[in-house]
Formats: sequence, C-alpha cells, structure tokens
Amino acid sequence: MSIEIPKDKWPGAVQTVTLGATAEQGGTRTKVVTIGGEQTLPFMHFESETPNRPVIAMEMSSSRPGGWSQVLQDTWGDVLDDPAKWAQACEQAGAELIVLMFGLTDADDNPITPDFAVQTVKAVLEATGLPLVVLGPGQVDIDNAILVPIADATKGERLVLGLCEEGNYRTIVAAAMANDHLVLGRTPMDVNLAKQLNILMTDMGLPRDRIIMDPTTGALGYGIEYGYSVMERLRLAALQGDAMTQLPLMVNPGFESWKTKESKVGEGVPDAWGDWAERGVHWETVTAVSLIEAGADVVVLRHPDSLTRVKESIDELMAAEPV
Amino acid sequence: MYIIGENIHIMADKVKAGIKERDAGFFQKLAVAQVEAGAQALDINLGPRKKDWEEIFPWMVKTVEAVTDVPLVLDSTNLLGIEAGLKVITKAQPIINSMSAEEERLESVPLIAKKYNAKIVALTMAKSGIPVSADERVGLVIEKLIPRALEIDFPVEDLIIDPLVLTVSGCQEYAPELIEAVRTLQVVWDPPPAISVGLSNVSNAVPDENRSLINRVYCAMLMGVGLQMIIADPFDEPQNEVIRVIEKRDDSTPVGKLYLTISDRVAAMEEPSIDDVDMSDPEQAAIWKTVQILLNKVIYADSYLQQ
Repeated sequence: MSIEIPKDKWPGAVQTVTLGATAEQGGTRTKVVTIGGEQTLPFMHFESETPNRPVIAMEMSSSRPGGWSQVLQDTWGDVLDDPAKWAQACEQAGAELIVLMFGLTDADDNPITPDFAVQTVKAVLEATGLPLVVLGPGQVDIDNAILVPIADATKGERLVLGLCEEGNYRTIVAAAMANDHLVLGRTPMDVNLAKQLNILMTDMGLPRDRIIMDPTTGALGYGIEYGYSVMERLRLAALQGDAMTQLPLMVNPGFESWKTKESKVGEGVPDAWGDWAERGVHWETVTAVSLIEAGADVVVLRHPDSLTRVKESIDELMAAEPV
Repeated sequence: MYIIGENIHIMADKVKAGIKERDAGFFQKLAVAQVEAGAQALDINLGPRKKDWEEIFPWMVKTVEAVTDVPLVLDSTNLLGIEAGLKVITKAQPIINSMSAEEERLESVPLIAKKYNAKIVALTMAKSGIPVSADERVGLVIEKLIPRALEIDFPVEDLIIDPLVLTVSGCQEYAPELIEAVRTLQVVWDPPPAISVGLSNVSNAVPDENRSLINRVYCAMLMGVGLQMIIADPFDEPQNEVIRVIEKRDDSTPVGKLYLTISDRVAAMEEPSIDDVDMSDPEQAAIWKTVQILLNKVIYADSYLQQ
C-alpha cells in the first residue's frame, strides 16, 4: 500500500543573506557564507530543497573573557589572550564564521577605545579568511563609539555589526549602510518585538538582505522551549509571506548553555551528573541542534567538540533524501 | 449596542486625582458626559482601595447616582468595597464586575449579588489562567459559571459573560478565539446569557495613535458574531460611527461599506477578503491590515501599519 505524504506549498521564503566579501566583491575574505532562502520548515526536504546549510559560528572575545567555564578555558588555553590566534584556532576547529565579542575593558582592565577596537578587528581579519560578526559590549554609548570606526575601517567587508536593539539601532544601521556591512538585530524572545525592529531598520532604507535577526533563546532546561516557539512562529510567518519576519535567524546556544550550572560548575554536584567537560559539551550540542531544528540559520558555539558534533548532526539532517 | 462607559477608571490620572480630592463635581461631570455620549451603564473601577473602601465605594455610588439613573457597574477585586457600594444603591439594578471560575470568587460573589439583587459580570478565567481556545472558555461557562448560578438559585439572565479580550500586542492568538467564543456562547444555553467584553483591552500596550482603529475594527468583527454589549470609551466617535453603520446597515460611504462587509463576513464564518478592500484608500488599507492582525494572520508589531 502506498502512502501519500501531504506536502505544504508555502507562499513565502526566507531572505537569502551573504556574509563577508571576497577581494572580487570588495572585501578581503577568502570564504563567504550564504544563509537563508528556505521555502519550508527546517529539513522538510520532501517539500522543498534547503538551499543553504545551517552555519556554525564560533564565539571569541577581544580579550580573555571573564566568567567563562573552566572547561572552556582549559580547552582553548593560551589563545584566549590573543584574538588573532584565537580566530585561527576557531577556523582550524571547523568554524564557518567568527563572532568577535568586545568586552567593556581590554586585557589590562582599561576601558576599550575605538583605536583598540579597530586594531583588534583588523588583526582578526588578517588572521582568518572567514566572514566576521562584530558585537559591541552592549552599552549604547560604547557600542556606537567602537562600531562606527570599525565600520569605516573595514568598508566593503560585509561584516555583521551589532547589537541593534530597539533603543539603539539608528547609528549602527547608518554605519552599516554607509560601508556595505550587515547588521544583527536582537529582541528579547518576543515575535512582536522582533518584527517591529525589522520594520524600524528597513524603514531607514537598509535592504533586507543585510539584516540577520537574533530572537534570543534559552539553553536546554533554561527556557529553550520559549525560544523555540518564538523561532517557529517567526519561521511560519515568514513562510506565510510576512516580509518583515523573513530574515535569517542567528542564535547563541554557546552563550546560553555555558552559563548554566550544569556546564559551569564542576564541583559539589551529584556524581550522577557525570564527567563535567562531557556534560558541558552535551548541553551545548543538544541546545544547538534543537535550535537548528527550530529554524536557526546560524548557531554560535563556544566549544570545538560541540562544533564537531553539531556539524555531524547537520550533515545527517541535510543528507535526508527528498521524496 | 449597549455601551458600559469605561472612563471612571483608577488607571486614569485625573480619576486618581479626583478620588484623592473627593472631587464629586469631576465624577458627576464625567458620568453625565458619558451617558450623553451614549453610555447606557457606567463602570466604576476604583481599584481595591484596601485602606478606605468603607468610605470611598459608598461615596462614589452616591456621587454618581445623584446625577444619573443608569446602572452602575462596580468594578473591583475588593468584594467588601463592592458590598459597601451595593448597600447604598437606590436606582437601577447594579452590576458586579466581576467573578471568575476561580473557586473563591465563584463561591462568594454570587451570594453577594443575590443578596443585593445585582447582576454579575462573569469572566471565563480559571485558577490556571485564561484559556486560549474558544471551546475551553465556553467550557468554563457551562461547567462552572452557570452551574454555580443554578446552585444558589441565582437567575442565569442576570449573568453577563465576559469571555475576556486580551491585547493583540502579546496575546495575539487569543484575538480570533475570542470572536469564536462570543459566537458560541449564544447557543450554549437557553435563554442565552448576556455577553459583554472590555473592548479596549484588545489594544492595551499598543501605541496610542493606533488604539482606536484596532478597537473599532475588532468591534465590527464582534458585532458580526452578535455582540451586543461592550465596556468601552463612549467618547470614541469613530467607534460609535462604526457601531451606527453596522446597526443601520449604512453602506453609503466606502469605509462604512467595508466595515459592514467585514462584519458580514465574520457573521457568515468567512474570512474577510482583500477583494472587499480598495487598497488605494489609506483608510481602507489600514482597516485591512488591522483585520489581518486581529485574525492572527500577520504578526502584530507596533508599526504594523507601516509594513
């Protein structure tokens, strides 16, 4: 007996967005990354081809990050003190994209300056040929003070600049528009706010193929189901044809999972929890793969072993035969 | 449409100040103006008044009843305050706003209502919260609210069911379900219970410039399923005009015709169609976009009209 599998035909599609630019395209990247373009829910290959694989980005910092789990510190070792080496290590580990986070201070605890920020971005761009996402520390004045000169100094690279939030997007969007960059918009786990920010940013004249949205999520056991629902609703709306929800999604399972007690704490926990390092990697991997199933186009990770495992999962998900 | 005027509400700064100064003249003017604008009853929301309920509820009832004959809707979570107000009512049959399917309220409110011959606004809300689906909300009416009335021999016709309008900004999935709840509630009991909703709740947390539009489009849709009572702002002239257009079936203007068509489509359980709309008219385009968010077809955003 043959069974006919019902297929949905959606009127809308996710916007295709390309990160990074090669020398030919006006940048210096040796590789670019293209995301989005989906015309169906994740991995429904029998309904429509998935034009672009989900992408794994690795997160790194402008200086040794305070508060990172000892597991991560031991894994990366000394490269944590050198952004250029760290970026290379991320690339060697298999990252397809680098996310460079600026903290409020440099390695000597001095407040970061625009000069320091520009030099750090240039060093990372020289060390790796991967496309780059650059995120300020998340304080409006400092973000604007560093992101504008970074945008100017790297014109044409198609960096992703952020974070754009509802109270702070104009300066970053203007800097991105003037210098052929992209922006990352973040909203706190709310479909209405996510859409609103997209409307505001495109109202400034920023083309839709230069916006990525971060709807915010939670780690496994820490609100992932809320993040999942928001992503799912945004993706469904996109497929139904709502232009202001049709932007690719980038989420941070690394950040979210490595701040949980299970990943961060090795002592004074039940033996049944098992090996600390293994647990942390599991937590990050399961969180990331779940979010990929929800529709993430980019997942940002912290541990190289998680990267390997998530990549294997993506291979399997992408390998499923169309019916 | 039976409008319960909503403007004596503790959330309004002028109302707060008026209470603080015991400014009877302010409340009397506001009461008379609402009735003149078409309100057939007046909601009096004073908040819980935990410290001065004993004085303030009777004061407000006497103040408002001195200038108007319409029913007063005593709207508070403080049942002691409501009872203090009910004791001094001398005119129309009052209304208690509200009880719910939560055990404590379900137990106590109908007894007070019966004692003072008051009607009750009964919310489709249980201890676990407000159900999303129309069926579950109707279920609370059949399984909890009406049985409690029958149990104490409280007249079912004195129950006013409020299936609870929630804001489209954050609770968007509730908006179309509420419409279906209003439709179904009219056939679940004989005689059907009265139904009322707090119309402007649909636009809570929406920027001021869009609230009235969302309220009146929702009003047109709800009139399509037979809603005949709302707690609303009686001074909202565009809303009153939509109510008039639908009640009189006045299709003499293009916008009026669109409101009527939307109402008729909802009545017939059809989706309003873009073919009904002249999208070159900005007002009609805005109405259409509003219908789309209220039916949860397009995700709401504060700038949804700019999309």
